[in-house]
Amino acid sequence: MSAARGQASSVKERADLALNDEFLRKAVKFTTERLRSGKIQAAEQHGNWDDWRERGRQIRLHTIAHLDYYLNEFTNNARANGVHVHFAQTGAEAVQISLQIAQSKSAKSVVKSKSMVSEELHLNHALEGVGIEAIETDLGEYIIQLAGETPSHIIIPAIHKNRYQIADLLSKEAGEELAPDTTILAGFVRKKLREKFLEADIGMTGCNFAIAETGSMVLFENEGNARMVTTVPKTQITLMGMERIIPSWTDLEVMATLLPRSATGQKLTVYMSGITGPKRSADADGPEEMHIIIVDNGRSNQLGNPEFQELLNCIRCGACLNACPVYRHIGGHAYGGTYSGPIGAVLTPSLQSNVGEWDDIANASSLCGACYEACPVKIPLHDMLVFLRRRKVEAGYDNKMETIGMKGFAAVAGKSKRLITAIKLGQLGTKLVARDGGIRLKIGPLKGWNTYRVLPSLPSKSFRDQWDKLQQEVKQDTPAMDPAMKARMEAFQQKRQGGNGHG
Amino acid sequence: MKVSLFITCLSDAFYPRVGEAMVRLLARYGVHLEFPRVQTCCGQPAYNSGYWDEARATARTILDAFDDSDFVVCPSGSCTYMIHHYPDLFKDDPAYLKKAEQLQSKAFEFTQFLVQVLGVTDLGASFPYKVTYHPSCHGSRLLGVKDEPMELLKHVRGLQFKPLPFANDCCGFGGTFAVKMADISGAMVSEKVDHIKESEAEVLVGLDMACLMNIAGNLRYRNEPVRVMHLAELLYEGVKEA
Amino acid sequence: MAETHQELLQRLEAASKTRQQAFMDEIAGKLNRPRVLSKPVQPFRGAPEFWLDFNWTLEEKIEQFINNYKAAGGHAFHLSGLDEVRSFIVSKANEMSAAYIVRQDQEELASLALEEALPEASIRVWNSEEDVNWKAKAAEADFGIVRADYAAAYTGSVTVLSDKTKGRSVSLLPTVLFVLIPESRLKTRLGEILPDFDTMGRENLPAGIHFISGPSRSADIENDLTIGVHGPGVVYALIYKES
Repeated sequence: MSAARGQASSVKERADLALNDEFLRKAVKFTTERLRSGKIQAAEQHGNWDDWRERGRQIRLHTIAHLDYYLNEFTNNARANGVHVHFAQTGAEAVQISLQIAQSKSAKSVVKSKSMVSEELHLNHALEGVGIEAIETDLGEYIIQLAGETPSHIIIPAIHKNRYQIADLLSKEAGEELAPDTTILAGFVRKKLREKFLEADIGMTGCNFAIAETGSMVLFENEGNARMVTTVPKTQITLMGMERIIPSWTDLEVMATLLPRSATGQKLTVYMSGITGPKRSADADGPEEMHIIIVDNGRSNQLGNPEFQELLNCIRCGACLNACPVYRHIGGHAYGGTYSGPIGAVLTPSLQSNVGEWDDIANASSLCGACYEACPVKIPLHDMLVFLRRRKVEAGYDNKMETIGMKGFAAVAGKSKRLITAIKLGQLGTKLVARDGGIRLKIGPLKGWNTYRVLPSLPSKSFRDQWDKLQQEVKQDTPAMDPAMKARMEAFQQKRQGGNGHG
Repeated sequence: MKVSLFITCLSDAFYPRVGEAMVRLLARYGVHLEFPRVQTCCGQPAYNSGYWDEARATARTILDAFDDSDFVVCPSGSCTYMIHHYPDLFKDDPAYLKKAEQLQSKAFEFTQFLVQVLGVTDLGASFPYKVTYHPSCHGSRLLGVKDEPMELLKHVRGLQFKPLPFANDCCGFGGTFAVKMADISGAMVSEKVDHIKESEAEVLVGLDMACLMNIAGNLRYRNEPVRVMHLAELLYEGVKEA
Repeated sequence: MAETHQELLQRLEAASKTRQQAFMDEIAGKLNRPRVLSKPVQPFRGAPEFWLDFNWTLEEKIEQFINNYKAAGGHAFHLSGLDEVRSFIVSKANEMSAAYIVRQDQEELASLALEEALPEASIRVWNSEEDVNWKAKAAEADFGIVRADYAAAYTGSVTVLSDKTKGRSVSLLPTVLFVLIPESRLKTRLGEILPDFDTMGRENLPAGIHFISGPSRSADIENDLTIGVHGPGVVYALIYKES
């Protein structure tokens, strides 16, 4: 199943495979429905949700607009805290820096907490390539690592697996049969990973937020594995997207209000940890050596681009995935990139700046805007999908059939006379194929539509055909307008003219 | 005061009865709609597919058609919202940018016009059926038409409102999406129809014939006897009967 | 000769400092403006204004904290003072047969004199001796006992800060966690705690600042809630009146 999905080359092919996978559809639907209901409830309970969203958006907009200042401030403060800060333009560079540190430490194993950046870099493969064991410690990540897969959801990486599949995977690891019971399975992982935490040489984390004014990095999590990773091993390496910055701890309150509620409906994740440098000399735990690798990997391409810069405001909560009706039906792997759902459909082509290769991802959306509505920092993803489609057309990666169709559309819809002719032709054609006022043919462009629906036939007269008669009939019994209503209309007009200033 | 009808290409060709209902309903309040015959399509199919030059070609036709109107009323939230993209399309064309900004401020979706502009919420209609409502995405989320249809439905005599589970979920239409990603779109509309069945409604109303055509097509494919109507049709039928 | 780790760090440090300049210049270049070198005026900082006046009375804070902490799967109680805290912990230790206990080196915790009340148990005080692997001591402990530095009622969170006397491991590695919360440290909002870290200033911040809002949990298997995945699965928050 997953192998077949890996071979499928287009979003459409991968989506079709997913649509035929009854279990996957049910699992994804069940969980996303729970998460989005939780989010809606949490937002309502908290109250003034749109004010908080707007505040979150403003803080992110400001930070990104002054990213050179804040990132520089963060870097200097983190260094002053004793952190080794590194810069990586590309994923490959970030991998190389990580490997150099790990090899120089003669590390045998690395324990990792969830990091989407590390998924972008395919770091686990690189570590294993030089003989270093990389262990994902988030329960969901651990499961998909054992399965040799990639996460299909930002927050719930193994959303596509059920307890029986998970029991099989873990039983293999345990060398004994484990019952498909969540408590038993999680209990096994706790015990197994405890040993791994205690013997690991390096702990590796992502970064939810980085605080410029104090050089601190902040992690949100529920399991405690990120705390383990930042407490137990002697060396900590943090991979951080260059846009993760917020100015202050005071601003963190806004992010802490938006992120957990949007992600899982929690008031706060079980753990929110702010790490400021390696352990102090008198401390008896915490890493002795701490690295932060600041990764660009295509992010800076969005800077200065008015259509896409807001992408950098994303706080990786996954709310847009849970709200998206397309994601709910096809799951994360159908998107074919590290990030899935609406944010992935925009982020993947943007990070890669590769319009040709990722051209079809942007098509996997009905542009319903549920993503925008769910987004805690109000990123207009539905608009960005259209911008991507336009970018594809402008760059010449358009589908030639579609282009011919669109040129035809403009020719017809640009002039009413041509549109009238087209409708007339349609009315004629309808007579040939319609039965009981419906068209069920499954050929040509009608195939996709009529596989799920019956197309209505065109009535013999269009609205404009009927207009003269209708107008005559109505004219006779149109009463005079109520003066109050007229006054309302005039007020609207005045407001409009006032609002537009001088027009 | 010139109030013009922007019929939309879909209602013009497929659903003239929606236009007729609007014209007759508004006439009862002394609003005599005009119909500029040069109007065509809002350009959304081209705009959403990334063909902005082609979208501009049709948008110019619309801008010219309604240039001298004081109000423009449209039976589709989606096509009304498309007009809100016109300023973006013409940001480098000052003459049409000005027209675009003007049209944006004077274009109203049908229920917006009734409730916000005319101040009408009770048309004296009667419609003794179980009715559910599908809020179309562009109209409700982007244009912000949420309370108006509910206000209007609330005042219809005999109407038994049946809430639609997951009402805000997209029906899967999405313009060319329904053709390009036919199977995903098909899964979405099937789910929508499942929810409509769960609501136990006899009638589905909405404010966008594109979505309603999509849903009605699946209902019919599955031989589900739910009647599908634009709210204007429902109200008109309701006042005729009353 | 192979490069030592120290040499590697120096080499990376030098490379990083050069890159830093170029990195920031490139950001400014892409934003189509010169580098911003002085602190920009932040038009919006922190929570919306209406939120800043939101404060509960002590009774409300206690009630809300307990509700939220319980809703997250934790246990929370309001106790009359440290005497009641002591008997609470002692009875739990007896009930669960806790053999190994590790606690922070804090005055309030010392005053509990648990060693006298639980003569059978091995009770260790964090970092009180040298040459002990304290992480291992915490990992083998049945109970970890800490006094919170802050708590926030609105989210049901306790905040613990690390230092020489306060290990991060004590609130993380034991099976059961007890957090003592003096009433005066219980706030309404996160916004009464977080800004302290700004005013404290970078150089005075502890290495670890941890907000804990219940037992360790995961919903990664079929969205079915599991408690105690990596951190403590049983957590007690004990709010007490200070004398």
